[in-house]
Formats: sequence, C-alpha cells, structure tokens
Amino acid sequence: MRDCGAADGYGMGASMHKILTRVALLTLFASSRLLAAPPPPLPTETLTVAKLGPKSPHWVYVLDEAQDNEIDARVYLYDGDTHRRLGQIGAGFMPGINLSPDGKTTVVATTYFARGGHGTRTDVVEFNDNATLAKAGEVIVPPKHAQSLAMTFDVAYSADGHFVYVPYLTPAASFGVLDPVKKTLIGEIDTAGCVLVIPSGPNRVSSICESGRLLTVTLDAHGKEASRATSAPMFDPDKDPLFVQGIQSGDGYLFLTFLGEAHEVDFSKAAPTFRPTWPLVTGADKGVWRPGGIQIGAIQRAQGKLYVAMHRGGEGSHKEGGSEIWVFDLKTHQRLARWPFDTKPAGRAVALQVSQDATPLLFAATEGADVAILDAQTGSLKHREKHLGQTPSLLLNP
Amino acid sequence: MHPLDRVFENSARSIAKRTSRRSLLASVGRMLTGAALLPLLPVDRSARAQTPAAPAKQGSGTAPTAGKVVDDPQSCEYWKYCAIDGFLCSCCGGTSNSCPPGTQPSPITWIGTCHNPGDGRDYIVSYNDCCGKVSCGDCFCNRNEREKPMYRLSRNNDVNWCMANTESDYHCSVSVILGVAEPEK
Repeated sequence: MRDCGAADGYGMGASMHKILTRVALLTLFASSRLLAAPPPPLPTETLTVAKLGPKSPHWVYVLDEAQDNEIDARVYLYDGDTHRRLGQIGAGFMPGINLSPDGKTTVVATTYFARGGHGTRTDVVEFNDNATLAKAGEVIVPPKHAQSLAMTFDVAYSADGHFVYVPYLTPAASFGVLDPVKKTLIGEIDTAGCVLVIPSGPNRVSSICESGRLLTVTLDAHGKEASRATSAPMFDPDKDPLFVQGIQSGDGYLFLTFLGEAHEVDFSKAAPTFRPTWPLVTGADKGVWRPGGIQIGAIQRAQGKLYVAMHRGGEGSHKEGGSEIWVFDLKTHQRLARWPFDTKPAGRAVALQVSQDATPLLFAATEGADVAILDAQTGSLKHREKHLGQTPSLLLNP
Repeated sequence: MHPLDRVFENSARSIAKRTSRRSLLASVGRMLTGAALLPLLPVDRSARAQTPAAPAKQGSGTAPTAGKVVDDPQSCEYWKYCAIDGFLCSCCGGTSNSCPPGTQPSPITWIGTCHNPGDGRDYIVSYNDCCGKVSCGDCFCNRNEREKPMYRLSRNNDVNWCMANTESDYHCSVSVILGVAEPEK
C-alpha cells in the first residue's frame, strides 16, 4: 500500500477533480477493507416452544374446513391487532368446534379415520388448552357425530361448563352428553328428528325440529334426561326457512330467516321464549336483499349491534355471502349502516364475527379464503389477511 | 314451497304416518340404492348442446347464466346440479351419475327437483355422495335451489351423506335422475 502524499507525483497543480477522484477511491478501498472484516458470530440459539401472550379480545379462532382435503380441518388462532397467526389446533374431519364458557378450552367434536382417508372411523371430542394450544384430553364417542359443514351448534358447553353436548346423526338424530371435567361419556338422548345442540342454562339443550318448533331437553344433575318439552312453532320452514346458525345475544340467541326476519329467542328461562320478530329488509328491498353465507351474522352485545352479511338474491341464494354488511340497533331494530363489502380481492363475506370489547373489530371470512378486519364502529378496512387457510368458515371469539 | 317438493312432502308425510322413522329411513335407503342402480332415462342430450362446454371450474351460484344452456357435466352450471354441494364426480374419475373407481356410493342421500331447459321437463334427482377416499378437490360446486337447513334433512346438502357408509369419508357428489316430476294437479 502506498502512502498518499506528494511523492506520488500529484502536486499543487493537480486539478481538484483528480484529487476528489483519488479521495473517493481511497475511501472506497478503506470501506471494502472494513466490509471484508468478518462480523462477530451470531449467538447460539436454544430451541423453544413459543408461548402465547395474554389473551386478547381481538384474537379470533378461525375454523378452516380444508375443503380440498377435508380430513385435515384445523383451527387457527389469529391476532386481529398484530395480524399474525399465533398457532393452530387440529380438527379432523367435518368438525364442530366451540369455546368453553371461561374461554380456556377449545372443544372439537370430530372424526378420524385409521388410515388417513379410510379405515376404522373414530369419533372423538377433544379438549384443547387455549393457553398452550396443546391437547388436554378427549372422550371417545359413538361413531355418529353429526358431520356437516361448519355449524355453530355442532358441539356446545352448558353455561356452567359442567356438560358438553355433541349432536349425532345417522341420519336418526340424537345427542351425547359428556362430562368435560372427568372426561367421560355420560349418555345419549334421542331428539325425535330434531337437530343440533343449542345450550342454555346449566342443564338445558334445545334442538331445531322440522316442524319449526324447538325441542328442549332438561337434564338432571347426572346429565340424564329429566324432562322434555316442545315449543310452539317458531318459524315456518316452508314459507321462510330459518338459518340454523344462531348468534349469541344477551340472554339467548338471535336467528335469521332466508328472507331476513330476525327471531330473538330468550333462553334464560326453563323454556325458550320467542320475542316478536322484526324485519331486516323492508319496502322494495324485501325478498331482494337477503342474508346469506355460513356464519351470517354477529352481535356486539355491549353495544347492542347486529351485523349481517347481505346480498341481492332469490330462491336458493341463501348460502351466498354478503356483498354488503348491514348494521342494526338491537333495541330500535333500525338499520344503522349499510357498508359495501369489497368483493374484488377475494369474493363475498361468508362468515362474520365481532369482538366484544370497547373498540371492537369485525372479522369477515370471504369466499376466496381471506379474512378482512374492519373497524366495527365505522366499517373501514383495517387489514385484509390473504388466504387464511383454504376455506375459513367459522369464527369464534375468546 | 315448490309444488314438486310438496308432492314429495305429502307423500313422505303419508308414509311417516304409517311407519316408524327407522323403517321409513330403511325404505328410503332401499329406494335410493335401487334408484342408483337403475339405468338413466333415455334422454338425448346432444340436441341441448347449444353452447360450447364451459371449462370445469370452481364455482357456486343459484342458477345458470340467463339464456345459456350448459350441457357439460363438468360444469357447475349443468342443469342436474341445481342443489348440489361438493366436488363434481365428473371431474374426479366418475360421471354425473357414477362414482369414481374405488369409491362407494352413499345409500342414503338428499333429493331435489331440477329443471332441464333442454326438454322443458322437471326431473327428480338424488344427490348421492361417493365415499371412502379423501375429498376429490376438483370442480367444487355449490347450488342450492330449494335446499333447506339440516332440520329438513331430506332437502339438506350440508351434511356428509357418506355418514352411514362403512367407509364414511366424503369424496365427491353425483346427481342421478330418478324420474320425471309431474306437476301437482
């Protein structure tokens, strides 16, 4: 290396340009020497298992039915604030899923085949610890769990968490009663053709009947049938069928019909009580704009707001997702807002859920497997998670 | 309620009054199993091929595009699929009325009424599932004309109709003509 001085032949008469060039070259040379110096090594790492942070009201459990390979359904835990997947729970084939009343457990009622897509069928109710997402016990049930596309009442806890109910379909309908603490199967109760398990109180299970009535079975302290009663007709399945996807309200569930009638049912008493129905759609929009999709609505209970996925449709359009989201006040039954839903990126909204905190997020799973996150107060898009699984179709809140 | 549905509804109710649920289901199961083995009605479909076959696609919808007759059993818009929900067996090694090799037809199923714009007739069809292998994953199709929720099980396409098969994994769905539907008089 040569020194930079008068001996190199550059004198006072050298042009400023040449000097600058020389300086630049030397600087580059010095920099390259620095770059060539090996950096300090990275510290060694320890393999660990990530831990979940404190539970957030903006977390959402997303059931992906994995339609193209249906034996591999799963539940993703997703953070609506950080937009990260936090973990996963396996869910088998055509599962029912639900959360325990204390939010500590995700229950999965599902089927496994001994050899992947075939072989001996085992139906099982699995309990997953929501603090670790690890499996925390199971109960084998008879191989007749009601296998269906995502349904909100395809497995359920009693309000006090002492029983778990799992619907059976062979296609004869009944349901199993489980003890989720002892992890035991208590028994089976026939439902005379009525389907699904709508839990209420510590010991009541209602099922929806073809006649448009509800069958309510009351259990004794041991989980055996103590009594049963059939309600008056709740809806007319011929004139205006009811979606079976009930939405949890303050004291029960709100159900919607194909044509957009809201049926609020108070399940807080010994027998379900039907409040007067009210319409989502009036005037010229009636019969034209309809609710539809899979999980067609969500309720923000503290704010008394109902969100519904709405589309323009007709006979047979009841599974089409929403091109708009309509917002209603549950006290006045007035429509508060009508938000267009951007269907260009990934189709219409097929499943809705809203968080229950003071600054709620509205989650909307789409036909194209995105999950859009909206400000539930304004409807503005906060984030769009592309391709959250294959077929996200049911969203549950902690 | 669609008049054609009412015909079957009334018929089913009449049977239900005379029989137990189990024997009704057994009868229906035998009927549908038998129906699946009947040859197709002699319907010449070539005359109805008014448009080029649409490419097989993933899709859903309530009705074919207005004014367009689709005669491609690999298209979701094919008339027989008016209330199907699943993967079209036509795209999975079978046809619109045959299960792919190595699968087993479901003996129980749901039934519907579809209008064939090619001959102007309504047909009673059964939507059987083919079972025993993992879902085919091709040509998903969901149409729901007169489809009803699970409480009206015989009109429901959400449940796994392979449920009663020895091998109950769902693979794909077919639509089998059971006969011409006569309108209610």
